[in-house]
Amino acid sequence: MTDTVLEVRNLKVAFPAPGGVIRAVEGIDLTTTKGECVALVGESGCGKSVTALSVMKLLRTPPSVSRIDKLQLDGRDLTHLTERDMERIRGKDMAMIFQDAMTALNPVMTVGKQIDEVYRRHTKMSRKQAREETVKALELVGVPEARSRADSFPHELSGGMRQRVLIALAFACMPKLIIADEPTTSLDVTIQAQVLDVLKSMQRDHDVSALLITHDLSVVANMADTVYVMYSGKIVERAAVLELFTDPRHPYTEGLLASVPKLSDDKQAFVQIPDTVPHPMHKPDGCYFHPRCSHVGFRCDQQMPRLETLQNGRQIRCWHPLRQERVT
Amino acid sequence: MTVKGNWQSSDPLLEMDGVSVDFPVKRAYPFGKRRWIQAVTDVSLNIAEGETFGIVGESGCGKSTLGNAMIGMVRPTAGTVRFQGDDLYALKPKAFKESRRNMQMIFQDPFSSLNPRFSVYDIIKEPMYIRGGASEAEMKAKVLELLKLVGLDEEDLHRNPSDFSGGQRQRIGIARAIVLNPRFLICDEPVSGLDVSVHAQIMNLLMEIQERLNLTYVFISHNLAVVKNVCQNVLVMYLGKVMEAGTSDALFANPQHPYTKALLSAVLDVDVESSRERILLKGDTPSPIDPPKGCRFWQRCPFAMKGCETIPAELVDVEPGHQIACHLISGFSAEQAAAGLNEPAASQPES
Repeated sequence: MTDTVLEVRNLKVAFPAPGGVIRAVEGIDLTTTKGECVALVGESGCGKSVTALSVMKLLRTPPSVSRIDKLQLDGRDLTHLTERDMERIRGKDMAMIFQDAMTALNPVMTVGKQIDEVYRRHTKMSRKQAREETVKALELVGVPEARSRADSFPHELSGGMRQRVLIALAFACMPKLIIADEPTTSLDVTIQAQVLDVLKSMQRDHDVSALLITHDLSVVANMADTVYVMYSGKIVERAAVLELFTDPRHPYTEGLLASVPKLSDDKQAFVQIPDTVPHPMHKPDGCYFHPRCSHVGFRCDQQMPRLETLQNGRQIRCWHPLRQERVT
Repeated sequence: MTVKGNWQSSDPLLEMDGVSVDFPVKRAYPFGKRRWIQAVTDVSLNIAEGETFGIVGESGCGKSTLGNAMIGMVRPTAGTVRFQGDDLYALKPKAFKESRRNMQMIFQDPFSSLNPRFSVYDIIKEPMYIRGGASEAEMKAKVLELLKLVGLDEEDLHRNPSDFSGGQRQRIGIARAIVLNPRFLICDEPVSGLDVSVHAQIMNLLMEIQERLNLTYVFISHNLAVVKNVCQNVLVMYLGKVMEAGTSDALFANPQHPYTKALLSAVLDVDVESSRERILLKGDTPSPIDPPKGCRFWQRCPFAMKGCETIPAELVDVEPGHQIACHLISGFSAEQAAAGLNEPAASQPES
């Protein structure tokens, strides 16, 4: 597991706002390895999308102010690259799948042409070759009659098909890293299942590293290998997917897991986390989660705990982690 | 005409009989053929006082249109809706308004359903103000009482919706819906626009209010797990038609319709240890304009047989409190076989 693809060290992003500064991301470390799917989970406003955009270097300064110690993609340092160099990397070495396919695709261009563009830009293909590749790429993601569908405009396709087109677009040059920002949130359950299947097999078959950004824990359970849980701009827990779901250590993770309604539940009240996410401009002292936490104790309201590393790469940021050592 | 199940109460608060809602589509060219979106087709149901009735389905299946038809917001093209025994769409305007006060709605998106220029007080008092007959002091007392009930502060009274988070806004929406003491509340995807950790709060609040005020809920959702936990009776819809209906215990314990099964298996679980077999449906939901003539689901059905595409499936009882519309269960009757099965079956399109 030394094939590190993406390495992010100490990423900080802030947005100046009237009346203060919104610290969206406060020092995040991320690593993904080859063929691994890493999920970044959190509620809206926790900074997960900002993290994704900063990795792609798509955040504009101003308004954002960001600082990063290290940003490496496949051994190459991206920290000081110019916008021109980044343009060569985006789409070729890393690509992004956006949430809303209707706004991510150009409405006045056929989808085939949009995928052609990726090949034309990053390789020395002729138009004809590019179209051949496009059709292949569309077939790969399960678009039926790919050759004729390539000539349709985004509005002529259904939501699931558009999302497939986005996946084809992202995988066009077989990048090393795919960032998927809420890839299935706007889709219906049966279509979501199809699209996730496509995404997963594409990622597994081509040994691509993926960074999955989502708020949906059930998607995480089905897709990811490693999970980072974010809360208010900080990582509160990192664990392998099985460990996280069977043995959450951070009270926030536990609360999130419990609040997802399950089909196997009996009729009863829903488990809830009290209160809401703190306003990004007025974060509480100490641990950001302590006003909502069910296990508050000594020091929680005074000092932010460090992100401690436990055995096998598990990390947790809590003064009083849950101890649920299973008796075996 | 669909059969009404024995699981439904004989003295309902709301009764729908063969309700269909069609919307005209703009003609492609002048004098062209008029086409219709068949949003809801032939739905009959009874909702008893105090129960929670779930409507499940994917987007575009007509679940919101059905909800709107229930409270008089969309006039059905066929069928009747009876609320407290009165035919809702035959009432005189004054009586209709009176009835309408007993039915309210909670909307999905708390960001667009509240007027951004109104204060919380204005939003919640608006229904009382329109009804008239209450003094300013009475209205204020009532609004304060409701704010407390939905878990907001007195200080929030004069703030604007933009000062609140999604969950808090939804609480304001709930307060507005119950201000006139309705008997019947439609919750149209009340939590799907909210954060995961807030879902449970709002759901629990809704349940608590139901108990305290003895409300009847219609709960429209695409989340089967939530529906299973809160509803007594459930309707599964696909492309405007009822596929399966019954008590939620019977339906979830023993789903019969291929669509319900697929829908259930498509729900992703957070349980990483168990591996369930998943049924992946092919293709997309077809357009509700000129839907399939036979069973609406046949194009995506993994078990479609000859005849499914021409003969509509009727709801039949499979067990007490459980109805299903599928030829796999009911088979074809003799005259159907004579009329329909002889027609050449269209080949199933590859999708």
